[in-house]
Amino acid sequence: MKAPEHLNIPAKPGSAATRWHLVILALFLFVSQSIQMAAAQSAGGSLVYLAGSENSALNRRMRSLLDDALGSTTVIRSFQPGQTSQDATTPVIALGPEAFTRVRQENRNVPILALLVDQTFIDGYAERSGGSVSGILYDPPLLRQALAGKVILPQATRVAMLARPDTVELYEPLTEKLPDHGLEGKIFVVTSDDRLIPTLIRALNYGDFILAAPDNNIYNPRTIKHILLTAYRRNRIVIGPSQPYVRAGSLASTYTPLTEIADLAADFIEQYRAGGQFPPPAYPDNFSIQLNLQVARSLNIPLPDRQEIVRSVEQRLAGPRESADE
Amino acid sequence: MSVTNDPVKNPEFPGSPRTSCRLLALTLAGIVSSLTMANAAEDTAETFDLAASGDAPEVFEIGSDIPEVLTTTRLRQPKSRVPGTTTIITGEMIRDLGIMNLVEVFRLVPGMTVNAVGSNQPVTSYHGTVHYEQRRLQVQVDGRTAYTPSLSDMDWNAMPVPLELIERIEVSRGPNSAAYGINAFLGTINIITRAPEDTVGVQLRAVSGSRGYRRAFGSVGDASEDYRWRLAYEKRKSDGFDEQEDDGKIYPFHNGYDMNTFNYDSNLTFNNSYDLDLRAGVVDGIDEEDARKNGKLGADENYDTLVDDYYVQTRLNVSLSERHFFHIQTSFQNYDRRQRFTICIPESEFSQILDPGSSTPELTPCGRDETDPFRANLNEDIEESRLEFELQDTILFNPDLKLVSGLGYREDTYRSETFFNGRGTNYQSRIFGNLEYSPFRWLTLNSGGNWEKTTTTDEGYFSPRLAANFILSDNHTLRFVYSRAVRTPDAFEQNPDWSYRPRNVPPPFTDAEGQRFLVADLVDPATSTYGKTLEEERITSREISYFGQYYLDSSTLSLEVRYFNDQLRDMISGIINEGEWTIDNNVALDQEGFEVEASLDFPGTKLRVTYAYLDQNGRYTGDDDRDAGDRQYAIDLLGRLSVRHSGSVAWIQDLPFDLTSSAAFYFADEFRRSQFERADFRLARRIFATGYSYELALTMQHYLSRDPTLSPSNIIRDHNQFFVEAGVRF
Repeated sequence: MKAPEHLNIPAKPGSAATRWHLVILALFLFVSQSIQMAAAQSAGGSLVYLAGSENSALNRRMRSLLDDALGSTTVIRSFQPGQTSQDATTPVIALGPEAFTRVRQENRNVPILALLVDQTFIDGYAERSGGSVSGILYDPPLLRQALAGKVILPQATRVAMLARPDTVELYEPLTEKLPDHGLEGKIFVVTSDDRLIPTLIRALNYGDFILAAPDNNIYNPRTIKHILLTAYRRNRIVIGPSQPYVRAGSLASTYTPLTEIADLAADFIEQYRAGGQFPPPAYPDNFSIQLNLQVARSLNIPLPDRQEIVRSVEQRLAGPRESADE
Repeated sequence: MSVTNDPVKNPEFPGSPRTSCRLLALTLAGIVSSLTMANAAEDTAETFDLAASGDAPEVFEIGSDIPEVLTTTRLRQPKSRVPGTTTIITGEMIRDLGIMNLVEVFRLVPGMTVNAVGSNQPVTSYHGTVHYEQRRLQVQVDGRTAYTPSLSDMDWNAMPVPLELIERIEVSRGPNSAAYGINAFLGTINIITRAPEDTVGVQLRAVSGSRGYRRAFGSVGDASEDYRWRLAYEKRKSDGFDEQEDDGKIYPFHNGYDMNTFNYDSNLTFNNSYDLDLRAGVVDGIDEEDARKNGKLGADENYDTLVDDYYVQTRLNVSLSERHFFHIQTSFQNYDRRQRFTICIPESEFSQILDPGSSTPELTPCGRDETDPFRANLNEDIEESRLEFELQDTILFNPDLKLVSGLGYREDTYRSETFFNGRGTNYQSRIFGNLEYSPFRWLTLNSGGNWEKTTTTDEGYFSPRLAANFILSDNHTLRFVYSRAVRTPDAFEQNPDWSYRPRNVPPPFTDAEGQRFLVADLVDPATSTYGKTLEEERITSREISYFGQYYLDSSTLSLEVRYFNDQLRDMISGIINEGEWTIDNNVALDQEGFEVEASLDFPGTKLRVTYAYLDQNGRYTGDDDRDAGDRQYAIDLLGRLSVRHSGSVAWIQDLPFDLTSSAAFYFADEFRRSQFERADFRLARRIFATGYSYELALTMQHYLSRDPTLSPSNIIRDHNQFFVEAGVRF
């Protein structure tokens, strides 16, 4: 199965001058690396590496959040190409699937904690690694998304999902859980590109809303226009697949704030240091929700307050039986 | 005595173009200056909730290649900002409730009534008035004016709109001339059909039911990146009412119809900024006319109206930027009605008609062995066409200030030997605009107007509308609306040249062959207003309405309440037929009342309730030469479709085993003869299989009140009517 890759981080090419400075900086770092390492460890602090994404602003933000979360006893250093030949035991925090792959390809034994990755991407690696690979999951869990839809449209009973034959499994675990929350779900299988819209039309006839998983085969910049416009014309809302799609016109998507990711990452690093193993990949407990208020208003949907939606979803996640009985 | 709001005659009229320009300029200046002070940051936070995502990965441009799809250009105005009360009936609800005829949808709209006149000609109106020739609503199908050009009434039986293709119907309740021009007098109906993209694939449906009801629908369509299309065919037929009453006796009723409609709808996208809608359609069929009901001048047998209509429509949508877009729309529609019938007038009566000295006798049918009667073929053929052009431009100066403005031009042509002795044309041109301004989060102001000139009266009219929407909290809105509108008399009311030319006349009256028998000579001279120049009808309407939405325990409640106070002046009342022509601007109406529309959505359950209360007071304001009976009759005619209490209750319920049930109750209390009360029940099973879905349904209509409501002739023998449906989509 092809891993969905909705993390699309644009490259920021530097000017010639910057590049030259970077080369000097890299050389300097390379030369001083071993000295620094020794210095850090001798100072009593512990070390993690951070393999960044191509988005430097995101890297800076994550680094400062991780700094806060890990505390002053931990030193974060940038991951350098080739460094694993000297140090293959210090954990590396990788931002995004590309950074993860970069580190992983260099040395398959180095412990990696991947951030900003999807469950479908990291689960396989994590299972095979025996605790040396894990991740803080970034894609919103589908049940959480479905419940957000239910809170926004309390009268909803039917959830329609679109999948390709090879991505049906994304939704299958969810459809079993939906009845506990007073919902039923149906997966509409899109057999080929030109069947997307006819299948969507049937799905819209069935569902009170469309639940979208981060499935690049269905939801991508090329198809999203048709999907959102068709749903809107039928007065139907789309929940998910991820935060950027809310700006496009999807009504809502839950997401994990970066602070939460950093906090759980710090937790995982600590557990690794204590027991030599990462816990299995997990979602941070706390989340936020992104709403498209303009679309909601236009569809005359009276949205509850953002915090209220989050609280209500948390309650439903905690006690499905209770909310189903309501 | 009629007062006109023609700016030439009434320069002090506040809406005259010069004043309105100055007003507009002033308003604009005021708004622009206050804008500079407005806080622009509020917009981003409000519309997209970015404030919430300060710590979100998205801030770092992750996913920035995903286009913004549902932009302001594409979003419909929320109800909280609409300047007036609007009812939206979705196609889904129409299908779920098992509604079998387009016109019956309007029973779901508070304040609207539905009935049938003549040989089963459906009529509907908002806030009543006349039943025959109901011509006070603007009706549009995908932006194309749908009422007939010469008399502005509606032929609902021949509408090129299959029920399966309805996306939604929006009814703006109250005068809306400011946006839609001079016929949007009592209200506006907008029928929006489904986008070709939304019906890709194949859909088939067949319905069969009581009183010869048969309907077959099929559509096929496809969508590629830049071209989306649909072809649809519908056949619908019905035998109409079972029988009719005449002078206390029951007779068979020739009042069915059999229509075929073909539609082609497409959309071509040239690039991100330009796309073109292209539509065309044909309606072909027959509408049965009963001689006893519609027969004129001694018509001695039933006949059929042959319907042969077509239309073409294009609309170019251009978006110059995210904040500036416009469309240019042109359409041409042709309505061809062929009605030919034979007549037989006893010799003595026809001699009286020929004698200019004597008055027109009351015609009696020919006996079986009538000697030397006058026999002939007559026709009421008419071909009407409308060429329509509209340019509408929208500018969003900022999220709180929006200007919609445009130009319209219309050419209504009619050709009929009988009704117009040849052909005639009316021209209408208009300029319109609406400024929507939200100075505060809690207030939206709308000021709009339409200036229109028509050759039926050779005058120009300004119709303003002002509205203030107070958004009390996000989910509660209070609106105050003031609007004025006019309805100008139509071509046939204003300029009839009505006559009959007998053809195939046998002896002894062969001389009459091809001669013109003028209706002006046939109508009762004592009451005739034939040839009199009519003035426009005027309405001033005030509305206070509330729209609110509530989250209840696992359900949402929407509630809209409208209070209205309407003054209708110079209303044209009277009779239009070949024996009597009495129409005149002779009634003033004051209408007051309130309407409620509420819907409650539970998981698996949808409840919807509407109720309307209408208090209508009429007084005669016409010429003094009428006796009290005639005066009262003129007032009564304007209340034929007006009822004091009306409403509906609908309940749609999802059941296990893929079943959906619905129950609906419609009432109108009361029409001239009786109240209308009907309950509909439907049970449907909808299966979503891989690659296709299908539906089977059974609908029952139960008439609780069995008496004909308006015309004693509209008799339905069995108060239970049944319909079965089967449909498939893949």
